[in-house]
This record gives sequence, C-alpha cells and structure tokens, in this order.
Amino acid sequence: MNTLYFDEIEEGDELPALDLFLSKDGVRQFAKTAGMYFPRFTDDEGARAEGLPGMIAPGVMSMGLLARMISDWNPAAVVKRIGTTFRSPVLPDCNVHLRGAVTQKNEEDHTADCDIWMENDDGERWVVGTATVTLPSKA
Amino acid sequence: MALEFDRSIIGKVFDETSFPAVTTEEIVDYAVSLGETNPLYTDEVAAATGPHGGLIASPTFVTKLRAQKFTPEHLPKFGKVGFDGGRDLELHAPVRPGDELVMLSTIHDIYEKTGRTGSMYFIVIRNEVRNQKGETVAVIDHRIMQR
Repeated sequence: MNTLYFDEIEEGDELPALDLFLSKDGVRQFAKTAGMYFPRFTDDEGARAEGLPGMIAPGVMSMGLLARMISDWNPAAVVKRIGTTFRSPVLPDCNVHLRGAVTQKNEEDHTADCDIWMENDDGERWVVGTATVTLPSKA
Repeated sequence: MALEFDRSIIGKVFDETSFPAVTTEEIVDYAVSLGETNPLYTDEVAAATGPHGGLIASPTFVTKLRAQKFTPEHLPKFGKVGFDGGRDLELHAPVRPGDELVMLSTIHDIYEKTGRTGSMYFIVIRNEVRNQKGETVAVIDHRIMQR
C-alpha cells in the first residue's frame, strides 16, 4: 500500500476503479456483521414478502464499499465526510463498479473533495455521493 | 405548499442508546465483510505501529449502530411507503476497540420535494455518536423518503 500525499494529487484525478461481483453470500455476510440480518437482505423470498423484487444489498453496504475504494486508493487518507444518495435498490448477483474523482483540492486544510458513485454494467449510477478526505502532507 | 406539523419535534433528543464496548473482532469483521485490506482496520499488530497507535474502525462502521427507538413516538406520517434515501456521515474522531459509544437521536429536518412523480417527503434523522470521553465521534444524517 502506498501513501499518496496532498501535493501528488490534482483536481480531475480519477480514483482507481474498484470492480466487484456482489454476491448474495457477500451481502449476507455484510448484513450479519452489520447487525442487519433482515429478510430483505438475506433471501429472495423474504424480500418479496416485503414487496421488493428480490433480495437487496443494504444502502450502507454500498456506502461502505465506496469508503473502501477511497482506502484502496490512499490508505493514509482520512475520511472526514462521506454522503451518499441511494437512487436504486441494489440487487446482488451482479457486477458493481465503484468510481470516483477528485473535484477540488483545499490548500488550507489539505483536504480533497471527491465525487464518488457506484454503477452497474450498463453505466447506471445506483448510488451517488461525495466525500471529503484529509491527505497527508510532505511539508 | 408548506408542510403542516408541530415543528417542536425538530431538534429534540428522542432516544439515547448506549452500546457495549466496541471489540477488536467487531471492527475487523466489519472491515473484512467490505473487503477492506487496510491494516488500520484489519490488522491489530500492524496498526500498532501506524498513525493511531492501534486499530481503528473503518469510516462507515458507525452506521451499524442501531438506536433503540428509530423515530419519535409522535412522528406525523407523511406518506404510505418509506424508502432509505441515503446517509451523510461526518467523522470527527476514530472509533477504537474498547470505546463505549452512545447515540443520541433527533429529528433534524422534515421537508417536501415535488418531482415528476408527485410529492415526496423527507425526514432526516440525525444520530450523533459520542464516546466515553464525551467526544462526538460521528454525526449520521439518515434521510427517509416517504411518498
């Protein structure tokens, strides 16, 4: 893992993409550790009984994966703020693509604002958001 | 059209939930379930020599805390169906093993938005998480959408 310093990033930089296959077992595992072991997050039948098309991934799991993308990009970045809007239910057993880009560098506090999002194979953005991270400085 | 309801419910703490001390296992399991490999969140030994002198929880860990009461008793109902609209998370200090967290819940805002498909109502529940030293570690704004 390599530390990325504030001076080394630029506005417009893209965060390295995180492409994953979101499996149902992976969602169940997350739901269990996050204390969200509810039917809608564990099985299709239980989810349908709640009026959903099938089992879905918790919104906070998508948010957690976006935070992981930031950590993969720069393990020394400290997330100060992360906000996400859940636009569409995430039905697992599919590929998800986590993306991000630096939109603004703030010299006074060595933070970077980023756009972050999760999309499917068709480029539909299921989850969109922004994050502000503090980056280490060489100075 | 202005939404009509008793605005005095906004900003009042309607729930205070205390949690058992955070364990190392909980922190590691949560991070691993997201595929995190950052040793700060997953490796107690490696994290000991890191910037925090020990393991810390990954940023969204606090979203797993559940308040005893999700909404206040007399929350007016604005729509028939509720959706999880999203979260905003502000992080002020890291969560570490042994932390005894307390979560204070308030209704932060209620507002209406009119879109293509009609009116939608947003209820923003604010969960402030404090540690045993009384420091605010995180503020989570949870947007519930009703229509």
